[in-house]
Order: sequence, then C-alpha cells, then structure tokens
Amino acid sequence: MIGWPRRPALPGGAAPVPGLLAALIAHPAGRRGLVLGVLLAAMALLGPLLAPFHPDLPDYAAALAPPSATHWLGTDSLGRDQLARLLDGARRSLGGAVLVTVAITAIGLAVGTLAALAGGRLETAVMRLVDVVMALPGLIVAFAVLGLLGPGYVNLLVALAAADWAWKARIARACAFEAIRSPAAQVARHLGVPEWRVVLRHVMPQVLWPLMVLATLGLGGQIAAISSFSFLGLGVQVPLAEWGAMLAESRYYFTVAPWLLVAPALCIFASVLASNLLGDALRDLATPEGRS
Amino acid sequence: MADGALLLSGRYGARRRFLPPRARALAARLGQAGLAALGASLLVWLMLPLAPGDPVEMILAARRIDEPTAEQIALLRERFGLDLPLWLRFLHWLGAVLRGDFGLSWRTGQPVLAGLLQRLPATLQLVGLGFALSVGWSLVLALVSARWPGRWPDRAVLAYTRVAAAVPGFVLALLVLQFVVVGLGLGLVLSNGAGATLLLAAVVLGLDRAAGWTQLLRATLLDHLARGPADVARARGAAEGRILVTYALPPALLPWLTAVGVSLGGLIGGSPVLETIFTWPGVGQWVLQALSVRDVPVIQGFVLVAALAYVAASLLIDALALWLDPRLRAPGGPGA
Repeated sequence: MIGWPRRPALPGGAAPVPGLLAALIAHPAGRRGLVLGVLLAAMALLGPLLAPFHPDLPDYAAALAPPSATHWLGTDSLGRDQLARLLDGARRSLGGAVLVTVAITAIGLAVGTLAALAGGRLETAVMRLVDVVMALPGLIVAFAVLGLLGPGYVNLLVALAAADWAWKARIARACAFEAIRSPAAQVARHLGVPEWRVVLRHVMPQVLWPLMVLATLGLGGQIAAISSFSFLGLGVQVPLAEWGAMLAESRYYFTVAPWLLVAPALCIFASVLASNLLGDALRDLATPEGRS
Repeated sequence: MADGALLLSGRYGARRRFLPPRARALAARLGQAGLAALGASLLVWLMLPLAPGDPVEMILAARRIDEPTAEQIALLRERFGLDLPLWLRFLHWLGAVLRGDFGLSWRTGQPVLAGLLQRLPATLQLVGLGFALSVGWSLVLALVSARWPGRWPDRAVLAYTRVAAAVPGFVLALLVLQFVVVGLGLGLVLSNGAGATLLLAAVVLGLDRAAGWTQLLRATLLDHLARGPADVARARGAAEGRILVTYALPPALLPWLTAVGVSLGGLIGGSPVLETIFTWPGVGQWVLQALSVRDVPVIQGFVLVAALAYVAASLLIDALALWLDPRLRAPGGPGA
C-alpha cells in the first residue's frame, strides 16, 4: 500500500525526456494514452482556430438542428454549433484541470519540501494542518470553499486546488525527508557543495518525479470534478461552453436532440481515460517490477 | 498488509500501554477523529473573512433583497450576531453546536439542524444502498476475475473497470437516466414511487464506485494465489475455487477494506450530483441550493456533519480491520 513511485532508471543513460517518451511509447497503455492525450491537447490548443462557428452566438433559426454538412455535430437549443462549443469548451475542461494540477503540484512541492528542510516545530505544525485537511474528503473541502467564494469558474479552480494540495504536500515531505538524508546528498555536502545546490540537484528530482506521476493520475479526477461542478451550475457560467455545462444544457432536450449528450460525454470519457492510461504507464515505469 | 491501518494509528503506538492494544488503537483514532472534525469546522470559519462581501450583504443576496432599509440591516446584524468579532462568533457557534443548535439558515431563517435531519434519511438510504451494492459488486467481479485470470471473464471485468474508472459518476447517471429510462420509456416506473428511483440511483453509484475497488482486490487476490499457502493447498489437491476463497480471499480483504474506507468520502461528497440528477430529496440537493446563494450556516453544518459521517465510517472500517487481522491486535505486533 505504502511506497510511491520512484524516479525510473532509464535505459542506457538516455537523456530524461526522450528516454521517457520512448519508454512510454513502448508501453501499451502508455502508447494509447499518449495518442489520446496529444489529440485532446491539440483540440484544446487549436480549438478556437478550427471552430467553424462562433461558440457563444445564438442562431435561433437553426435551433436543435440534427448533425449535417454545415453543423457536423448539430446545434443546441439556441442554435449554437455543437462542434464549435465542444472545441471551445476543451480549453476550460482540460486547461482548467491542467492549471489546478500544476498549482497543487507546485504548492505540494513547496510546502512539503520546505517543511522537510525546516524540520522541528515548523514541520510539525505544517504537517498537522495537512492532516486536518486530509481528514476531510476532497469533495467536501471543495464544496466548502466554493460555498464561501460563490459559484464561478475561477472560484471552482481555487476550490479544487484547496481540496487536493495537502495529499501532495504529505508525499513531497516524505520523499524530501528521505532525499535530504540520502547517501548522494551527504556525500555532496561532505565535498563542500552548498546546501541550495544539494537541494536543487539531489532533493528536488527525487520529490518531483513521484509528484509528476500522481499529477498525471490525478488529472482525470480534476477533469471529472470541473465538469461535475459545471454541470451543477457552480463552475463555468452561461453562456460559456464547458463539457459538463453543455451536458446540463442539453439534458432537457433529450427527446428531440439526443445526440447533444453524446459528444460532450465522449470527450469527458476520453480525457479521463487518457489521464488514467498515461498515469498507469508512468507508475509502471517508475516501479522496478513494472519495467520488465 | 497492515500498512493501511498502521498508517492510520501509527504515531500513537509509542505511548504508555494502559489499555489493550485494540482498544488503544481505536481510542487513538476516536481522538484523531474528533480533532479532525473540529479542525474542519475551524478551517471553514478561518476562510470566512476571505469570502467576498460583508456577511449582511451575503444574507441580503441570499434572500434576494435588493434595497434593504437600515432597520432590516440592523435587525439582521443582531439576529445573526454579526457585530461580534469572528473568534467570538466561532466560539458561540461551537457552543451552540455542542448543544445541538446549528444556527439559522441565512436564506430561509429556518434552523439548519432541522433541515439537515429532515433530509438525512433520504441521503443515508441512497449512499447506504449504493455502498452495499458497490461492495458486493466489486467482490463478485474480483473473485470471478481472479478465478479465471487471462481468460474472457477476466478480460471482460478488466475492460469494465477501465471504462467505469474513466466515466465520472454524473455522466454515467445522466446517460443511464436519459438513454435507458427515458429512451426505453421506463419513465413511468420512476414517477410511480421512490423505490425505483432509489434503486436506480444506487445501482449507478455502485457501478461507478466498484471499478477501483475491483482492480485492487483482483491484484491482491492474484498475488496471494501465487504465494506459499495456496501452493501447499494445490499440492494437497484442493480445488482452485476453494483455494481462492479459503487462502487468497481473507488476507486480500484487508487492503481492499482500507481502499473502501478511503473512498467513502467520495461516496458522501458525490451524493449532491446524483441527488440532483435523480431529483432525490436528500441533503446534497439542499446543500447545492445553499451553495448557489452562499448560505454559510447551512454550508458549515453540512461540512461538520459530512466530516463526522466520514470519520465515523472510516473508524468503523478501522475496527473491522483490527478484527480481521490478527497481527494488528497481537501485543508487540505492527499495530501495537
């Protein structure tokens, strides 16, 4: 149960990034996740350029049109092009999840590593705070923060970050604690390497790697959370597009336009799947048994 | 295998031993649980000043009063004790909570506790049934999967867990409701009674939650099937199915139980979404209404109750783990 992923020993002294990429491509789940992930990332980045129509401008004459040559995925109840909204929404669903994940990883890294470096009472105090936050289910923390800040997309991102940073901080502290006392760090200190350099060269990489694996695995959960809260009307506000919010808008037109539910649901599914596949592959690469 | 429970009871182990190990471990968890719930409430209070807008403005907004008179504002200030400093309000609130008074809703002026208690049974029904279904479902699937590893039942189960892990609960609920119920014309069933709605919502909750637990239990079962005791039984000529249930299942249950305990929070926190989709009159729906107008006392009450429920449930899981694993209660063992 315990034991988080460690930095993988990559074959043949390969440079970290191309070596990792090659290892991911060689891994069956990693390959699939990579393909899906690249496609979705392209969708989020290039979306506004590719979109055939304006995502938010209504066209009442074309309301609830079925898929056709003009509107590939049909139009919603206000006549807005579904494909354009899907592409536009990708930025908020995926970009928001990436933003939250980067933020909590950075906070976790900073809090955990600094606590481990400081030691003593400060470390104890910080870790007790982490314990309290972790004693609560993440969704409840998100509800509480969102309840105080009020609904809205930015508030939602803040709430999700508040709900999930503690777990990362705890793992970062544990990894940093070990790395600070590792033989490599001790030898470096004896050789007269300044402490900041020891931290940069021997501590940070040992903390960063497990956090990266967790971040990839957690990305799917963040995508699901953003779309869930937006579905409930607490995240992205009308008229802006987001996959969960699109599902909420379309559900009442199901009997006349069932296709409106399919595309956003598929997009959410594909994103979470890509994150799970990539995360599983990274975890496999990082544990010795999984590398065979 | 004791890692999960050890992690939870860990640092209290070094204290003087004046209670039997099992009771001591539970007492320590109980203390931690109380502290966690208190800490959670304190955190919500500490975040209160960060909320944009004056409390009076928030109350007025919650009640949709656009142009309040000075008299109205003064009345609200007095009624909700808003003139006192924050720490005093927190102490007042804490004292009142201990007496069973959760304050008044900013939106409706009704007591929070009464509203909570009125809707709690519906939520407990949904979460309880969904939990039971998902636990049973993941047990069955993992056993089937581990009985024929690599064959088609195993591959089917793995495919299911892959897909279910990637479909958020609300998407599954929405698709089931629209495509199965509305699409197949089963709508009448739902309008006929609460029973059908409850069952459907609980099945969705179960299908959604079981995926991760199944993956974990399957992996642990396969691990234990490859170990010594199972080999010895095999050498004696025991049937593979019997080996699975007698030698692999009992030790594999423990990590599974810990995982189930950890994700209980998701079950509690996920209820508002399901209740909204299935229009189930539970706490979740009520809290969502409070959330959209920032009805702080209701949110505070919900956080406290949800934290207590989560803590109580994980306490129960810990007790079960202690009861299941003889190593945890042996003096000098990992849990002592």
